[in-house]
Amino acid sequence: VTVSNREKLKDLVIDTFLLDPAEFRFDLRRNEVETWDSLGVVSIAVGVEQTFGYHFTADEAVGIQGLQDIVALLQARGISFDE
Amino acid sequence: MNRPEVWTYPQLLRQDLGRAVVWATASAREPAASLPWPLATALDPLPPGTETLVAIGGGSLIDEAKAFRAQRAPSVRLVAVPSRWGSGAEASPVTVLDRAGRKEIHLDPSWLPDVRVLWPELASRLPPELARDGCADALAHGVEGFLSPLAQEPLRQEIAPLIERMIATPPADAAWFELSASACAAQARSSVGVVHGIAHTIEGELRRSQPRFGHARLCAAFLWPVLRFDRTSFAKVDDLLRRHGLDPDALERAARRLFPPADYSTALPVLQARWRDVLRDPCTRTNSALVRPASVEFFSAFLAAGVAP
Repeated sequence: VTVSNREKLKDLVIDTFLLDPAEFRFDLRRNEVETWDSLGVVSIAVGVEQTFGYHFTADEAVGIQGLQDIVALLQARGISFDE
Repeated sequence: MNRPEVWTYPQLLRQDLGRAVVWATASAREPAASLPWPLATALDPLPPGTETLVAIGGGSLIDEAKAFRAQRAPSVRLVAVPSRWGSGAEASPVTVLDRAGRKEIHLDPSWLPDVRVLWPELASRLPPELARDGCADALAHGVEGFLSPLAQEPLRQEIAPLIERMIATPPADAAWFELSASACAAQARSSVGVVHGIAHTIEGELRRSQPRFGHARLCAAFLWPVLRFDRTSFAKVDDLLRRHGLDPDALERAARRLFPPADYSTALPVLQARWRDVLRDPCTRTNSALVRPASVEFFSAFLAAGVAP
């Protein structure tokens, strides 16, 4: 079974920020997630590199304000999130 | 960051410390009695007019002395004499205080001791298990500080030779005093990882039923499993080690030599019960590989899996 990049990202975000799956949305913003604090920025950066092989620069990491920003950064590196 | 001045034991004896008192852990009171300053029975209150506090003990005692001096007696000079290696508290701006079984972590370079003293003879009094656990604590500081996602390249270049020396140094060697202090001071410039996240989370609960479990013993129990977890989760871990001249398999063998399987088995049920808290620990969240809710299964299966490198 091939897991899509959308599914991988969803699992990663749920696990990193310890979300209930029902809380997940692809338009989640950082300020809506209690655990998306400065350490959460570090964790999600590690998780993205581990899962998608892309290492955020420090500027990219601190500039991320929501899940759509992560998708955009990865899409710009050729990682597709099409359904 | 100001680093403490380093004295040898003979240098300590030659110093004019003014009105000094010695505060020592129980196991260090006998050698402490050989010093030319009176032993204090308690830290608070210090005798009036005290100018220097000489704290002799493990990381917990030295951290309590750092906090006391910073908060209650800022004009008193603090001389820290580690009686065992591992925590590196004598050289670290990080201070870990046990408050009713919960760990309070303070990061403040101004809390550092003014002086740390190398007294290698104290190592001869260390039981082998304590020496081993201290080595694991020091190696965990080095490895987690090196692999931390917050570590910059110059820091990794500084820590890599330390790790190499730790791999090659036997557990009973007094050289661990200096290795431990250097590793702890270095990791304070990045972070530690899930070895410390586990230790900080479960230490208090374990100690209530198993008083022999301290921080260093938990580092010994979890350093090898965590290193295996990190290596199997994220290929970057081996890449980083190799890029800095370190052999990941040799490092894992060193961690395995320090591993106490019976302690791991004892600690595992507490780890499983407190896993959610481990995930929320700040140290866990700066681990080199992402630690997920399902990662507890790796640790549950670790001993049975036959995962020797």
